[in-house]
Amino acid sequence: MPKALSENLSLYVGAAIVTTIVAFAVLSPFLSPYDVETMDMPNRFAWPSPEHWLGTDNFGRDLWTRMAEGARISVLIAVSSVAIAVVVGTLIGLIAGYFGGWTDLLIMRVVDIFLGFPPIILALAIIAALGPGALNLILALSAVFWTEYARVVRAVTLAQREIDYVAAARAIGASPVRILLIEILPNVIGPVIVLATLGLGTAIIAESGLSFLGFGVQPPTPTWGWTLAYGTRYLRTEPWLSIVSGLAIMITVLGFNLFGDGLRDKLDPRGVARRVRRNAT
Amino acid sequence: MKINVNFAAAAAIAMAVMAPAGASAEVITLGADVDAGTLDPRTQRDTTAYRVNNLLYDGLVNLDAGLNAQPNLAVSWENPEPTVWIFKLREGVKFHDGSDLTAEDVVYTFETILDPELGARFRSLYTPISSIEAVDPLTVKFELTEPYAPLLSYMDLGIVPSDYVEGGGDLATAPVGSGPMKLANWARGSKIELEPFADYWGGAPAVDGFEFVVVADNTSRAQAFEAGDLSIIQSPLSPQDIQRLEASDDIGKAVMGGVGITYINFNTAAEPLTDPAMRRAIAMLIDQDTIVNGIYEGVDEVATSILLPSSWAYSADISQPTYDPEGAKAALAELGWSDSDGDGILDKDGEDLSIEVSTHSEDPNRIQAVEFIQAMLKQNGVDATVSIADWPAFFPSVQDGQHQIALLGWLNIVDPDRLMFAQFTTGGPQNYGSYSNDDVDTLLAEGRSAIATDERIAAYQAAAEIISEEVPYYVISYQGYQVFYDPELDLEPDVRGMMRSAID
Amino acid sequence: MLAYTAGRLALFVPMVVGIVVVTFVIMQLLPGDTAIILLGEDATPQMLAETRAALGLDKPWYVRLGTYFADLARGDLGRSAFLNESVANIIAPRLWATLELALVALLISVVLGMVLGVAAALWRGTLVDTFAMLFAQIGVSMPVFWLGILLMLLLAVNLGWLPAIGRGEPLSSAFGMALAGNPGPLLDSLAHLAMPALTLGLNSAAVISRLVRSAMLETLNQDFIRTAHAKGLLVGRVILVHGLRNALLPIVSVIGLRFGALLGGAVLTENIFGWPGLGQLAVSAMSQRDIPLIQGVVLCFALLFALVNLIVDLAYTVIDPRVRLD
Repeated sequence: MPKALSENLSLYVGAAIVTTIVAFAVLSPFLSPYDVETMDMPNRFAWPSPEHWLGTDNFGRDLWTRMAEGARISVLIAVSSVAIAVVVGTLIGLIAGYFGGWTDLLIMRVVDIFLGFPPIILALAIIAALGPGALNLILALSAVFWTEYARVVRAVTLAQREIDYVAAARAIGASPVRILLIEILPNVIGPVIVLATLGLGTAIIAESGLSFLGFGVQPPTPTWGWTLAYGTRYLRTEPWLSIVSGLAIMITVLGFNLFGDGLRDKLDPRGVARRVRRNAT
Repeated sequence: MKINVNFAAAAAIAMAVMAPAGASAEVITLGADVDAGTLDPRTQRDTTAYRVNNLLYDGLVNLDAGLNAQPNLAVSWENPEPTVWIFKLREGVKFHDGSDLTAEDVVYTFETILDPELGARFRSLYTPISSIEAVDPLTVKFELTEPYAPLLSYMDLGIVPSDYVEGGGDLATAPVGSGPMKLANWARGSKIELEPFADYWGGAPAVDGFEFVVVADNTSRAQAFEAGDLSIIQSPLSPQDIQRLEASDDIGKAVMGGVGITYINFNTAAEPLTDPAMRRAIAMLIDQDTIVNGIYEGVDEVATSILLPSSWAYSADISQPTYDPEGAKAALAELGWSDSDGDGILDKDGEDLSIEVSTHSEDPNRIQAVEFIQAMLKQNGVDATVSIADWPAFFPSVQDGQHQIALLGWLNIVDPDRLMFAQFTTGGPQNYGSYSNDDVDTLLAEGRSAIATDERIAAYQAAAEIISEEVPYYVISYQGYQVFYDPELDLEPDVRGMMRSAID
Repeated sequence: MLAYTAGRLALFVPMVVGIVVVTFVIMQLLPGDTAIILLGEDATPQMLAETRAALGLDKPWYVRLGTYFADLARGDLGRSAFLNESVANIIAPRLWATLELALVALLISVVLGMVLGVAAALWRGTLVDTFAMLFAQIGVSMPVFWLGILLMLLLAVNLGWLPAIGRGEPLSSAFGMALAGNPGPLLDSLAHLAMPALTLGLNSAAVISRLVRSAMLETLNQDFIRTAHAKGLLVGRVILVHGLRNALLPIVSVIGLRFGALLGGAVLTENIFGWPGLGQLAVSAMSQRDIPLIQGVVLCFALLFALVNLIVDLAYTVIDPRVRLD
């Protein structure tokens, strides 16, 4: 195998998987004659056939269509929650790392507080407090994820702050915003992207876990988590539902993980993210 | 040498002590879906507590499998006047702590349950009692404010020892009753262990122990039973497991009609459901058959009216609306709903017909039923949405009348009064849908006070007719009761899940 | 180091305060309260008001919060209205149960992870490597509860090898009994532990195996190893010893992180396997709006996390004196 390919295997395979899933989500509505809602009770739990490429679910709805729509929704929820977490976390991390002192101390205590909650409990509590629904789910997940980014960005910022040209810029009196944006942010982006890509997988699994406990998006929204939750109830007699949705989640997460790993080799070769997670207090 | 001898002796003693007990103990393990909250029979509130307390305590009567009152602590009773009941108690009954059970304890039990400070959930079942008197140590006299026919079926309330409670005993965690079993150990959230009470008046039970093991997830509980870790499991179970277990030949099983219903609660005070014709139209869009046989896999029975088949008041002639999409369409059109803007949703006066169907998140079958109902409504032009929240959020909103259509259930319907009085009388404490009908009020009051059974039957059937017309409730199914057990157990299935027959 | 430890411990206080406040705020936002659950379907508005007064729920929020802190300072975690027991008594046995599960899962994941990681590094590029890394990737990508139910289905129901639910004797007493000559309870405990711990630990095993692999590879590539190799020294032992020592630091830190993840993941696993631990308690307390209990459980988790982090950071300095604590 050519060197470049074998080294970047993770990256390419991951990218391939992710692209396939996205394509599946985007193109399916044009390929499939069914819609997400039409029930067909006599044909429940059908195995794949020419009429139903992925079979049917517990209401006889076409699984291919529902899984495609589910891909769109699950990925959207994951991307939104990670995006919010990244933005919030990065901002806070930059501020904490740059200004140091009391600001840093205070912010890190807030981070500690959030980290003290078991993630599922925090998400559950937030959803229970805000009510069910996609938006609240996204908010809950963001609240759980942001701390990771804050810590990494803060650590990188702390390190960067002391570097010569940054110190020089500060000495001249350049505005903090400028310094943050131009000098520090570019160094932060690499590790953050890696973490974010890996975080997408975690978000998808988190959503399915919350749906399993009954705290996910409202039906009949076909998120993979809901389908898997239903499938688990029927596991003994009709395993297909569970197999399909479980596999879908697993493959997608695998894709994001592989992609993230490949990215890590490119964007964060020194393992800053990993090392920082270790050392951050 | 001295050392060796001592060592040998010590080893021998150690071996003797460590040796396993002789014959293996017969301990029955029952899988429960929730842990008991409290083991005080007056404040009990969950099915596990009912069942555990049934073994720990005795009531004046015991309800048999046909829900008829049989003598228990009371050997006989009489009803000399419509508002007076006199119970004669059995002699020689002892509590687990050795003290005697007398009329005083009965008086104490009922007086405290009627006391609002105790916060007993079932207080409203006993409020017609105006006074309880210990005529002599073995006779209790109850006086009522008005004739109250269902009284006898509520007389299985466990009697508590007044001295123990007054002396500071906490029944909730350290129960003391006069029942055949007593509490050996309670690992909160995981296991309740009972052991036989040697001085039980009916003779000590034959089993060596009875355990209630908490496994919340229905599927896991069924799997544990099949793996041999549990000897009895019962409703609630998931339909798929029920089907599979029913088909199995080498286990003991009983499947029967239960004393619960799954139903739709219409909020009659919320637009557009204020008009009975509207409620009937919506009811006609609910495909009971598919829900019961598809989602619930036939373990429940399709309901025809508010009266249960297991009840003496039942009549097959009373019938609520059945699944009839064409009829529904016609009815809605008659009410002025049409799709004037072509978006697939019916509208009237510029407003879309939108309805929210809600239920709680703990029961996957109810979630599926609601999803199904939503799809059916949507197909027929109703802009239906689903709302699912966990019970502590869902139930208060129903109690406050904030719902439109809510799917829930009732249990323990041992008497028609239990299902209808508090729920349908104007302003009744459980009338969440704000239903009001003067005729129904009169009929339900009659049903409660008449003593002659045929008078009660007439009253309840008349009320049921009106309810089938006006549809404040649309009963989807009569819940079945299933119990699966180790074939070596000699269990007499009881529709409320009581386990007294198993211990002898 | 002592000063550092003291400093870190001091930081626990604001963290505890913060967590209590945040939990309190969230609980206030939750619809439905203890009184409604306690009284259930038969509740009338009057009964509700009486119960709320009895539980102290009608006092203004700052009074309730203040009372909670005052009690906390005295070590009193409050009382659960549902279970009629002090929160501390309810939590204690469950804390041990969860710790037992998490520690065994951690053990499994470390052992499994190291075996896989070392194998993958030593036989890099071969099928062993591919298999190990594939396993690792899949282990990280699989939803935990799916795996748990599948395992239960296979091992407990279909094959009947292991019990499906519950917990045996606590390990500590089971060990004691085994040493005294009665291995029964210990075997039973282990049988009950097997599936939940495996389910919980697989994820972490995957993470650890990748870490070990890359750490070992780093070592293998270093010059002095190659020199030693060239000199014909006992390669196997040298590689293993040096490689593992190099991997030790990241492993220790990842153990700390993973233990936190394990505690969190315990919630779902305990739910599925009926394991009577803190995770199961947390979910049931939430669904009953049992506020003192929820606060107690959350506090417990938080302190555990913080303690584990502290221990890991301290372990660092022991392992690698070059690492500075600051």
